[in-house]
Amino acid sequence: MTEVTEKKVRLVTAAALFDGHDAAINIMRRILQSKGAEIIHLGHNRSVAEIVECAIEEDVQGIAITSYQGGHVEFFKYMKDLLNENGCGHIKIFGGGGGTILPSEIEELHNYGITRIYSPDDGRRMGLDGMIQDVIDKCRLPNPPQEGLKASPNENGKFALGEWKDVISIAKAITVAENGQYKKLISASVEPPFGVQGGFPSGGRGAVGDSGAVLGITGTGGAGKSSVTDEIVRRFLNNYTDKTIAVISVDPSKKKTGGALLGDRIRMNSISSPRAYMRSLATRESDKALSQYVTEALDICKVAGFDLIILESAGVGQSDASILEHCDVSMYVMTPEYGAPSQLEKINMLDYADVICLNKFDKAGALDALHDVRKQYKRNYELWDAKDEDLPVVGTIAAQFNDAGVNNLFDKLIDVINKKTNSSFGTHKPFEKSGGMDGSIIPPKRVRYLAEISETINEYNKWAKDQAAIATKLYQLDAVIKMMDDKK
Amino acid sequence: MLQQTLIDKYNELKEQLHPDAKKLVEKWRDVVKQYEGDEYEFKVRDKIIKQPLTFTSLSGTKVSKVYLPKFKDWGDILQWQLQENVPGEFPFTAGVFPLKREGEDPTRMFAGEGGPERTNRRFHYVSVGQPAKRLSTAFDSVTLYGEDPAHRPDIYGKVGNSGVSIATVDDAKKLYSGFDLCDPKTSVSMTINGPAPMLLAFFMNAAIDQMCEKYIIENNLQEEVNKIIEVKYNIENLPKYIGTDGIPIHHTNLPKTLSSTSKKETAENIQASQNPLSGGRGAGFLPEGNDGLGLRLLGLSGKDILPTDVYETIKAKALSSVRGTVQADILKEDQAQNTCIFSTEFALKLMGDVQEYFISNKVQNFYSVSISGYHIAEAGANPITQLAFTLSNGFTYVEYYLSRGMNIDDFAPNLSFFFSNGMDPEYSVIGRVARRIWAKAMKYKYKANDRSQKLKYHIQTSGRSLHAQEIDFNDIRTTLQALYAIYDNCNSLHTNAYDEAITTPTEESVRRAMAIQLIINRELGTAKNENPNQGSFLIEEMTELVEQAVLAEFERITERGGVLGAMERMYQRNKIQEESLYYETLKHTGEFPIVGVNTFLNKNGSPTILPAEVIRSTTEEKELQITMLNAFKERHKDKNATMLKQLQNVAIANGNLFEELMETVKHCSLGEITNALYSVGGQYRRNM
Repeated sequence: MTEVTEKKVRLVTAAALFDGHDAAINIMRRILQSKGAEIIHLGHNRSVAEIVECAIEEDVQGIAITSYQGGHVEFFKYMKDLLNENGCGHIKIFGGGGGTILPSEIEELHNYGITRIYSPDDGRRMGLDGMIQDVIDKCRLPNPPQEGLKASPNENGKFALGEWKDVISIAKAITVAENGQYKKLISASVEPPFGVQGGFPSGGRGAVGDSGAVLGITGTGGAGKSSVTDEIVRRFLNNYTDKTIAVISVDPSKKKTGGALLGDRIRMNSISSPRAYMRSLATRESDKALSQYVTEALDICKVAGFDLIILESAGVGQSDASILEHCDVSMYVMTPEYGAPSQLEKINMLDYADVICLNKFDKAGALDALHDVRKQYKRNYELWDAKDEDLPVVGTIAAQFNDAGVNNLFDKLIDVINKKTNSSFGTHKPFEKSGGMDGSIIPPKRVRYLAEISETINEYNKWAKDQAAIATKLYQLDAVIKMMDDKK
Repeated sequence: MLQQTLIDKYNELKEQLHPDAKKLVEKWRDVVKQYEGDEYEFKVRDKIIKQPLTFTSLSGTKVSKVYLPKFKDWGDILQWQLQENVPGEFPFTAGVFPLKREGEDPTRMFAGEGGPERTNRRFHYVSVGQPAKRLSTAFDSVTLYGEDPAHRPDIYGKVGNSGVSIATVDDAKKLYSGFDLCDPKTSVSMTINGPAPMLLAFFMNAAIDQMCEKYIIENNLQEEVNKIIEVKYNIENLPKYIGTDGIPIHHTNLPKTLSSTSKKETAENIQASQNPLSGGRGAGFLPEGNDGLGLRLLGLSGKDILPTDVYETIKAKALSSVRGTVQADILKEDQAQNTCIFSTEFALKLMGDVQEYFISNKVQNFYSVSISGYHIAEAGANPITQLAFTLSNGFTYVEYYLSRGMNIDDFAPNLSFFFSNGMDPEYSVIGRVARRIWAKAMKYKYKANDRSQKLKYHIQTSGRSLHAQEIDFNDIRTTLQALYAIYDNCNSLHTNAYDEAITTPTEESVRRAMAIQLIINRELGTAKNENPNQGSFLIEEMTELVEQAVLAEFERITERGGVLGAMERMYQRNKIQEESLYYETLKHTGEFPIVGVNTFLNKNGSPTILPAEVIRSTTEEKELQITMLNAFKERHKDKNATMLKQLQNVAIANGNLFEELMETVKHCSLGEITNALYSVGGQYRRNM
């Protein structure tokens, strides 16, 4: 096989703007994954700008969109325009919308340069599997040769999409690294492949605190890492309005199919800022929580001059601490639901993490958990006399907007970053205020309401049955008594 | 001796009979008597209503509206009353009212396309000759996601498609113009969720200003008011309703009287609205049936024109009179339909604010939420899951409102439900089971009063059960589903058009869909009776089975931390998807027969029908919406920023956002408000 066909197919999938119909695209992306593709899924209601930004930053070969709410002609054409305008016309666009897209419109869109819109007839003819294979095959076709990796900023000093950094070159450089060609790239290039000053780090990764501190975020699956990451990115962008941030997020590849669902981006609301860059990486063949090309991706971000780089790992087991090799400051995200306190003794990261985030702090038992984790932290660091509030263990509810716990967490993180690296993020303006709620939506002690209703109704039904049985007996007795009266 | 033993046993057992149960057994004879006459008397709030109880067929048979069981055994009589009972009595299994409302079919038709003018015309078209005006509004997807129409192509293409584009309070005034929103015979339903509080504030302002208009006309203040308007505003700059002939209708050219103030739609009035209005500039046509109510204060608020005390009195009266429903069910959006825009928590806070405002302003005839299973079913859930998830969402709102300190009897009557009716057997009892579970929980768990125990619901026939093959057969499916709904005593019903599987329904297909309901209600003999399901072994058994299945689901949700805990794990979403897949698989293999789709195909193989043309909004309509929006922003540019800031401040101070929105919408557009709220309430975070 040639190198071209072996190249990983990466696709962005989403449902169109103002369109909540995500059932079809979810089925499609699953089949794409099963055929070995890496999918950055954005979910429903995504604007053209968001999708194009994602496609460029993630350096994908194709975008697959479903649109069931009309306006598809304008939508797809605009997407093509925006890709062309930003020098990414090579990214292929695939679409479908059942019967809502008329055959004449499909023709119009194909003529405009949309790679393929699939109709219900195509579905019947090719089958679901055939359609998906078609998408993959088309993505594997080699792209026309492109200019070098370096782009020049426009007159405002901005790059494609108005970004502060040359995201196209950064994205392509990371792809090169992912394909195992990074060393070749740096030896061949005289200039770094980005529109920024600075040189390549000499070999491996640059010294700690070179430029761009790396914050590593890891934790168990389902602890809410992406939400916490998003909330930190949002605060960073709000508070340091002249700083830039990159997020490298790693998700596991499936060993069996080679495909991967890169699902962190769907949770990120704050990433579509011109000062933010995000790249999702699959672990590819390695069994680790981190992709083996992570070092190179981080190097590229450092050379590109991002002020802060967040590395988010895939969900890890209790023993995994591999993130430490890659970051300057590390954070471990967990929830109060870890089981017995003795479980804490098994978590390796509690020995190493600079900050521990106890997320989903509205869950029952949160205060006990905070107490236990603090105790474990003291034990691990032999900080027997430390005050509880001085420990870097913070309870957060990342799902709650402008959560005070996350504010606290952010300040602690910046503090550690400033101390451990050359970064000096200054004091920031007060956090934004929000119209939060006073407490949780359902008070914890009422959480069994549905079971109580069920019990109430079952009790009533039983009572009704019992009462009816008594009434039947009364009716029968009454009849017998009356019959006896009649006999007299 | 033996007899004495029996009497002792009798007395002993009698002691074990609960006083309520005893009463039910003893009073049974009176109940029977009550239904023997030709008329039935009952009380609604403080009014005594008398309604005929019988109908005579062409053959001379007297058919009663309510038939009772002929049980003799007291146990059977008691059991029946405790679990079934007559319509209007706890546990309301057969219905929440003793008899159906007279002169009002439960027909409610869904419409929405293009700009407000086009949808207004459609509303008048579907309600011509109907004494009760029951409107149901579909919004375009731009509105559904809380944004403004714009030239940006990914927005532009969706403006006015598959629903009406409404971005400002003026759009809402045009949309419902010519319908008296404060008349008890008018009832408006709005299918909107994420931005529901804003659209509701548009609607409420439109209703208040209509009442201001009526006040102005009744008190002959037109001249005076016109003068004030001329001083304060440039009339040319005020928005105009574009007539059916494409000509904008000028303020001064609106009809001088209203059909509603003259109590009857007189010939002159109707004629007046069909003819060009008094000639000259701005003399466009109003659609047939539109008397111009709602257009006289277009571009302004009654607040700017009338003295404050007069305005406040009118406002209070309007708020307590409006009748309708706003969907506003954010839980099912997260579980099934995906039109969430704010963080779930903030969206719930907004719902609570609306409810609180309803209580303090005595908005008693408007439902603050339509707790919807329809979208859960459309996404693929089976009827049991639909019912269980919907009721569990309903109880979640109850718990949240209680936790905010609201009194159960103050808010429960503002809750309504919305289910889908498909073909499955469980759909025959969906209303019965819903009513009975709700009533039992309200009475015994929440100690709520009689009114709060009554669950009222709207049915829409299943869109998912319609197919793009042999589309003529779809009306047959809809008819059977409508029959389920009417036999089950639904409070409101929408029948889908047969062509909905392939396109936006046409006037012709909508008319046929309405005929389905009318034929059942007016022609079908058995539908003259109002408790045809009672006494059926099948229905009774189904009712018990479905009730138990729903309670079992409640237990499963509890194990996952209640509705919100289960949502976090995406329990509901996954279950819906699994059930959808199961149906699709059986449909594909043919194990689940669908006539004209996988069996009984015609000689051409029953191909998928493609629509000959698709109704789309026109460029003119889109441009008009954008122009109108820009003009609105221009008119309000002085106040706009202040009002948005004020709204954000109310959010930060945790005040009532709906109360503030009632003022914000006078000066700000939908998109402006949504974006201002994002920065204080947070955007929805998608999940996977």
